[in-house]
Amino acid sequence: MRKGIVQLVAIGVVIGVLVTLVAVLFQWLPTSASEEFDRIQDIYWFATIMSIVIFSVVVAVVVYSVWKWRVPADDDLDGPPIHGNTGLEIVWTAVPAILVIALGIVSAFVLSKNGEAGNRPLEVKAIGQQFAWKFEYSDYGNFTTGELVLPVDREARFTMESVDVIHSFWVPNFGQKMDAVPGIETSILVTPTRTGEFAVVCAELCGLGHATMRAKARVVTQNEFDQWVKENRA
Amino acid sequence: MTATHHDPPHTEYPAHFEPPHGPTWKAFFGPGIVRGAWMAGVGFVLGMLLVLVLRRWWGWEPYWKTDVILVVGGMVAAPLGFLGGIGAFDYWLYYISGRPTRPEDHSGHGAHSWKDYFRVNTDHKVIGIQYLVTTFVFFTIGGLMAMFFRAELAQPGLQFVDSQTFNGLVSVHATLMIFLFIIPAFAGLANFAVPLMLGAPDMAFPRLNALSFWLLPIAGVMFVSSFLAPGGAFGAGWTGYAPLAEGQPLGQTFFNMGVQWAGASSILTALNFLVTIITMRAPGMTFWRMPLLVWANFTTSLLVVIATPFIAGSQFFVMFDRIMHTSFFTPEGGGYVLGYQHIFWFYSHPAVYIMMLPGFGIVSEVISSMSRKPIFGYRLMALSLMGILVLGFSVWAHHMFIAGMADWLRVPMMITTLLIAIPTGIKVFSWVATLWRGRIHLNTPMLFALGFVTMFVIGGLSGVYLGSVPIDIAASDTYFIVAHIHYVLFGGSVFTIFAGIYYWFPKMTGRMYSERLGKWHFWLTFVSFNATFFPMHYVGLRGMPRRVFDYDEAFGDLNFVISIASFVLGASFIVFVYNIVTSWVRGPIADANPWRAHTLEWQVSSPPPIFNFDEIPQVVGGPYEYGVPGARHAIMSPGREAKEAEEVHA
Repeated sequence: MRKGIVQLVAIGVVIGVLVTLVAVLFQWLPTSASEEFDRIQDIYWFATIMSIVIFSVVVAVVVYSVWKWRVPADDDLDGPPIHGNTGLEIVWTAVPAILVIALGIVSAFVLSKNGEAGNRPLEVKAIGQQFAWKFEYSDYGNFTTGELVLPVDREARFTMESVDVIHSFWVPNFGQKMDAVPGIETSILVTPTRTGEFAVVCAELCGLGHATMRAKARVVTQNEFDQWVKENRA
Repeated sequence: MTATHHDPPHTEYPAHFEPPHGPTWKAFFGPGIVRGAWMAGVGFVLGMLLVLVLRRWWGWEPYWKTDVILVVGGMVAAPLGFLGGIGAFDYWLYYISGRPTRPEDHSGHGAHSWKDYFRVNTDHKVIGIQYLVTTFVFFTIGGLMAMFFRAELAQPGLQFVDSQTFNGLVSVHATLMIFLFIIPAFAGLANFAVPLMLGAPDMAFPRLNALSFWLLPIAGVMFVSSFLAPGGAFGAGWTGYAPLAEGQPLGQTFFNMGVQWAGASSILTALNFLVTIITMRAPGMTFWRMPLLVWANFTTSLLVVIATPFIAGSQFFVMFDRIMHTSFFTPEGGGYVLGYQHIFWFYSHPAVYIMMLPGFGIVSEVISSMSRKPIFGYRLMALSLMGILVLGFSVWAHHMFIAGMADWLRVPMMITTLLIAIPTGIKVFSWVATLWRGRIHLNTPMLFALGFVTMFVIGGLSGVYLGSVPIDIAASDTYFIVAHIHYVLFGGSVFTIFAGIYYWFPKMTGRMYSERLGKWHFWLTFVSFNATFFPMHYVGLRGMPRRVFDYDEAFGDLNFVISIASFVLGASFIVFVYNIVTSWVRGPIADANPWRAHTLEWQVSSPPPIFNFDEIPQVVGGPYEYGVPGARHAIMSPGREAKEAEEVHA
C-alpha cells in the first residue's frame, strides 16, 4: 500500500509539473498596462495555483486507478463494496469550500479596489456606435476624437454610452471591460501604468461590422497629453 | 377519416374496414408524414387568410405584411397542421368529438420496420430512438456549420462568407447544438432508460411523450431554414440580445419562434418525467434506491419546468418589439435593455445544468458498472444534484458582470457562483473514488466517461476563474469563454452523450458496437477536441473577442492550428457514425446484460420486450451493490419466486 501511495504521489507531481510548465512557459495574459489589471493578475495566479493542484489530484487518481486496476474484458469479478467514507466526503466538501470562499474574498477585495475612484479622475466618455468608438473629453470642453489618448499614471473614468445597440469597451492590456448599453450609463476606471499603443476592441456582438470595430489607445506622458489636448481642442 | 386509420399500421385490417379507394387514398388521408405535409400547407394558408382578413377588417394597411403572415401562418398554423397531420392529436380529437377512441392497448408500441420511426409512436423506447437519431442529424448540421466558420477563421479577414452569413452560422450553430442536440439527446437517452430503470411499462403520458418528440423537428427546421429568409439567418448570437436582435432581418423571427417549439417540447417531456418518476416507480423503488440517472433526470426536469418559461417570455417580448412595435427592450419607448438579459439568463443559466445534470447521471451509471464498485457516496451524489438545482437559480447574473447591471448584485452572484463548485466538486471526487480499487473495464463507454471527468474538471476550473468578478471583467466575451463553454458542453455534455450511446447501444438495438472503432472514435475525439479548444483560452486572454470573423494578425497562426484541429474533430465523428450504423445493421447479437450491471433495464432482454417487464419487478435494494455478496437490486419475477418458495415449503 505504501508503495502505491508513493507511485500515486509521483504521478501527481509529474502531472503538476507538466501543467505548471504549461502555465508559466506561455505568456497567457497580455502585458498589464494598468493598476487594475495588475491586481486582476494577482487573482489570476491565485486561481491558477488552485486549479493546478485540483487538476493534478483528480487526473493522478484517474491515471493511477486505470493503470493499477485495469482488468481484461473477460474478467467477471467485482471490486470491494466500498459505499463511501464520511470523513473523506467531509474533507472534499470543506476544502473546496474554503478555497472558493478565499477566492471570493480576494476577488471582492480587488473588485472594490478597482472600483474606487480617487481624487478627480480624468473623465472620458466612450461612445459606442455601429461600428466605431468615439471618445469625448468632458474635462476639456467636450472635444471628441476617434483615437483614445490617456496620460500615464493618471486615473481615468470611462463613462459608456451607446447610440444604437450594446457594445463593449475593452482594452486587453488594461484588463478592464464594460458594456455600453443604450438607455443607461455605465462606467469603469483605468489607471494606465505604461506608455505605448494598445488596441481598443468591441467585445459585445453588435452587428455586421462588430469584428472591425476597433480603435487605438495611446498612453503618453502628461506633457504629451497636454500638448495633444491643445492641438485637438480648438 | 375513419376509425380504421387508428389501427396499428402493422396489423392486418379486417376485410370490412378496408379503405374504399385503396392504399393511395389511405396514405393521403391516414395519419403520417404525407398527411402531415399537406396539412402543414393547409395550416399555412389558413393562417395567412386569418391575417389578411383581420387586417382588412381593421383597415390596417398594408394588408400583406410578410413578417406577420410568416409568424402566424408559417410558424404557428403550419406546424400545428403538421402535428395534426401526422396524427399527434388524433386520440384527443376523437375523444373530444365523442367518436370511439382506440382503447389504450399500446398497440402502437414497438417498431417493426424503419418506417415505424416516422409515425407517431407512443412507445418510450421508440421515442427515445427517434429523439437520438433526430438530434444526431442536427448535431451533424451544427457541426458542419462549425467547420464552415472555422474555415473562415483560419485566416484573419473575410475569405468565404459575408459578415451576416458568418454571424448567422455562429448563431445557428450554437442554437442547434443547445436546443436540438444536447438538451433533446439527453431527453432521448432518458426516454429510453428511465422507465426501464424504474420498473415501469412506459412513461406516465405516452401520447404526450410522442407529441413532445414531434415538436422538436419543427424547431430544428425553423432554425435551419432561417438561412433562406431574406437578409439571412438570425445573427445576434444564440443569446439574441436586445436591442441588436430587434433590428435584425426577418431571420431573427425564426429564432424567436423556434425557441417556443423547442421549449414546449422540453417542458412537456420534463412534466412527463416528473410524473413518471414520482408515480411509476416499481414496488420497493424508494427515492434512495433510484439509479443516479433517474435522480439526474428528476432534478433536470424540475429545472426545465421552472426555468424554460422565462426564455419563452424573453423571445415573445423581442418578437412583439419586432413586429408589434411594443418597446419592452427599446429605451426610446421606455423599455429596459438589461431586462432582456435578466429574463434570458434566468433560463439560460439553469439551462447549463439542464445540459449537464443528465450527463452526470450517465457517467455515474457507467463508472459504477465498469469499475464493478458501488458509486461512492450515493446519497451525497443525489443531494449534490439537488444542491446544484437550488444554487443554479441564484447565479444567472454572473453572465452580466460587465453588462452594466446594479453594482451591488455582483458580489452576491459571485459567491453563489463559486459555491456551485462545491457540489460539483463532490461529484467529481466521488466518481474518482469509485474508480479506486475497482476492477476497471476500460471499454468505450468508460473511456468517454473518464474523458468527461478530466475535461469537465478543466471546464469547471475555468468556470471558477470566470466566477471571480475581476477576472471575468478581463475574460468575458472573449475566446476564453468559447473555450470554457466547449470544455463544459463538449468535453462535458457531448462526451457523456457518447458514453451513454455506447453504454445503452446493446440494450437499444440488441447488437454490439465495434469496440475497436469505438476506441478510435474516443482517442481521435479526445485529442482533436483538446487541440481545438485548449488554445482558445490563450487567444481569448490575449485579446481576441468572440463572435468575430476578423481578428488581429497576431492570432493568425494559432487560429490556423485551431481550424485544422477542428476539422479532425469533425472527421472523428465519421468513425462514430460508421460504427453505429454498421453495428446496428449487422453487429454481433448482444447479451441482455453485457456489462453485468444491476439496474433494471439490464435484467430484461435486448431490446426489451414491448411492455418492458413481463411482471412488475419488486425492488429490494440499492442499484449499485457490486461486490456485496448476495445483494440484489430487484426480484424480476416476484410472483414466480413466491410460488417457488411456497413449493419448497410445501
